[in-house]
Amino acid sequence: MSQENTEETQATETTETFEPKIMAFVCNWCTYAGADLAGTSRMEYRPNVRIIKLPCTGRIDPLFIIKAFENGADGVLVSGCHPGDCHYTAGNYHAKRRWIAFRSLMEFTGIDTRRLQFSWISASEALKWVDLINNVTDEIKALGPFMDFKNLKG
Amino acid sequence: MEKALREKARELLTTGEANVIIGYEWNRRKTRATPAFITKADEVDRLIFNPLCVNNLSIYLTRKNKDILRMGKPAIVAKGCDIKNIVVLISEGQVKREDVVIIGMSCNGVVYKQGLWKGELRPEIMPVKCHNCDVRNPHLTDFVIGDHIDFTPPETPRGMVFDKIAALDAKTPGERWSFWLEEFSRCIKCYACRQACSLCYCERCITEKNVPQWIETSAHQRGNIAWNLVRAMHLAGRCTFCGECERSCPANIKLNLVNQKLVLTVKDAFDFKSGYDEKIHPPMIVFSPDDTENFIK
Amino acid sequence: MKAMYLKKAELGKLISSVQDSGALFVGPVVDAGNVVYKEIGSASELTGDYIIPVTTYKQWVFPQTEVVATFAVTKEGVDLDGVDLDPPDVVVFGARACEAASLASLRSVFTWGEDDEFYTRREDRITVITVGCTAIDDECFCTTVELSPASTTGSDIYLRETTDDEYMAVAVTKKGEAFIKAHHGVFHQKRAAEPELVELKLPEPIKGIKKEKISAWLARTDNYQSELWPRLTRKCFGCGACTFSCPTCHCFDITDEGTAFGGERRKNWDACQFDHFTAHASGHNPRDTQFKRWRNRFMCKFKYYPDKFKTTGCVGCGRCIRVCPVRLDITEVMEEISQISE
Repeated sequence: MSQENTEETQATETTETFEPKIMAFVCNWCTYAGADLAGTSRMEYRPNVRIIKLPCTGRIDPLFIIKAFENGADGVLVSGCHPGDCHYTAGNYHAKRRWIAFRSLMEFTGIDTRRLQFSWISASEALKWVDLINNVTDEIKALGPFMDFKNLKG
Repeated sequence: MEKALREKARELLTTGEANVIIGYEWNRRKTRATPAFITKADEVDRLIFNPLCVNNLSIYLTRKNKDILRMGKPAIVAKGCDIKNIVVLISEGQVKREDVVIIGMSCNGVVYKQGLWKGELRPEIMPVKCHNCDVRNPHLTDFVIGDHIDFTPPETPRGMVFDKIAALDAKTPGERWSFWLEEFSRCIKCYACRQACSLCYCERCITEKNVPQWIETSAHQRGNIAWNLVRAMHLAGRCTFCGECERSCPANIKLNLVNQKLVLTVKDAFDFKSGYDEKIHPPMIVFSPDDTENFIK
Repeated sequence: MKAMYLKKAELGKLISSVQDSGALFVGPVVDAGNVVYKEIGSASELTGDYIIPVTTYKQWVFPQTEVVATFAVTKEGVDLDGVDLDPPDVVVFGARACEAASLASLRSVFTWGEDDEFYTRREDRITVITVGCTAIDDECFCTTVELSPASTTGSDIYLRETTDDEYMAVAVTKKGEAFIKAHHGVFHQKRAAEPELVELKLPEPIKGIKKEKISAWLARTDNYQSELWPRLTRKCFGCGACTFSCPTCHCFDITDEGTAFGGERRKNWDACQFDHFTAHASGHNPRDTQFKRWRNRFMCKFKYYPDKFKTTGCVGCGRCIRVCPVRLDITEVMEEISQISE
């Protein structure tokens, strides 16, 4: 793993055409459906995002986010149903509490919080999804590769 | 105070109200207090209580220590700060209130470094938690031993831990990252922090799950960062700042900083302080629709 | 070889001389309030004010974590690659006599049956320079386990402080002799009067402890179930700090780290104090409570080790007592066993 990372890092550092890797953890019922709608509607957006679908944002353990960074993600996006719309009634509210604590922890340990973004996207908001991915990709591209984690000695 | 404690212990054991007293006794050289398990009424004179009684004995109420649970109903000698952990254990369904007798000790503070203790308690030798202690008169007890203590902690908590947190907050993310990289690099993955913590009561810790291996068990930077971040996160809204993890850490990692940071975060965000009311749910298992959303797009 | 002398003020020279030869120089430094062994660059980093470092130097012969193989998953299958083990020369300065004796114990484990080259190659290239103790604390008990600040077992060079801020150096092994020869510019022979040596401090042997009695008591199998074990050791909560700071503990775990495409196989320190150490795949755990794990550590030091290897399992450095968060004192257990077997 570390080998793969270093090779990649070197490649991305030397070229000006850095393409960030963005992990998106999304819920099955809203954001994934929204992304699906963007696809079936033939909307185009940046190809930098890799989506992992989970039943609910409440299932997203902060460990997933750490693991994504460990495995070379330059940014992580977490997205689910709008408040009140959760398929399981309150999963997203619980998730939000966790994110508040986790963001504070990340900030305190000096991990750039711009690399971890949160959003609410419903099944009908394909446009919001497309805009979000484009914006997040641009933002993280501007930040460059996430060297803090890539440089960690294994 | 010790006399009253021993009398109470004797009474509890004789009446059968408790089968084991979990308290403190001297080590052989009488230089350090060490946990004691007293099951016979004629042994209660071994019990002591003084500022060297630093251990948070609530660890022995958790399911990590099955052989102690098998000794029967415990009566635990607990300072206010230890009771906070018992409160969390009760609110999380780990211990039933009626299954434990809490002998609350009035406490003027403890001393971590035995070398500093010369028989007199001075503020300079006490840890930060004691200076900000609002439970010197224990809050959830069956009995209280010792006189009422008049002490009002400062309005805003003070001390090295809080100064250091403020100093770190004022730094750039890059500086904070190198600070923590340096701290966590010393981690030797002995897991003393976890074992000393009565709120780390899982029988199978996430770091021991290896299919898949979520947290790399090697003591390298990547594994150390993951472990320490995840442990801090698992204590969010639960940690009572008893300080046992940092005290136990053989590498002197400043774990109090991360834990206290999250205590402050939880206080700001959810107006919750852990360890005071066993009837209130911990903040991470409930929610409010009014929780801040300012970071969500 | 005659005793040689080394000026304390010239330690810097020794360090550069060692570094010029391509070796790492390891010595006691203050790090985050603890005195620990660390690789150092210059003499100013060294501290002389310590009883014994919190950590051991076993990490230079038996690292906390090391890669033993790498693997890559390809279309054809799995490619497995060993590692070329070519450890650097390491010079440990400022070791104590107690822990110097531990390398022989470690070696006997790692050469039992097969030679574990990950260990032996490193140990072959380490030079241990011991400094006789001139200060002790309550936890030191080397004299109780038949060692002393004056013992030279395991040291390559043994140093004694002199009153005029020098060290008197005695080469104990061939390796030590070669070291002094290689860095002869730094060592010198005393010409004038014999120097006065700073007196060694020896901990008082703990009177209640009788090693033969402990061995005899442990040899009786019914004592394995003695009520003494839970009574004295149930306060242990299994943090493992004792094993990780112990100079003779040597258990390790093998773990794979990586992704679906490849990764590495690592050897990491493990500890008999951890509840999952003996957990079987079936879910059964023969050491299911903490006192059984603690009993194992004690038996390992005072029965299994001496029985199997005829070497010492405990060198009396006292680290396990100092780091223990519940202050479980191994000498108290030794004393109790000596007394009940009277």
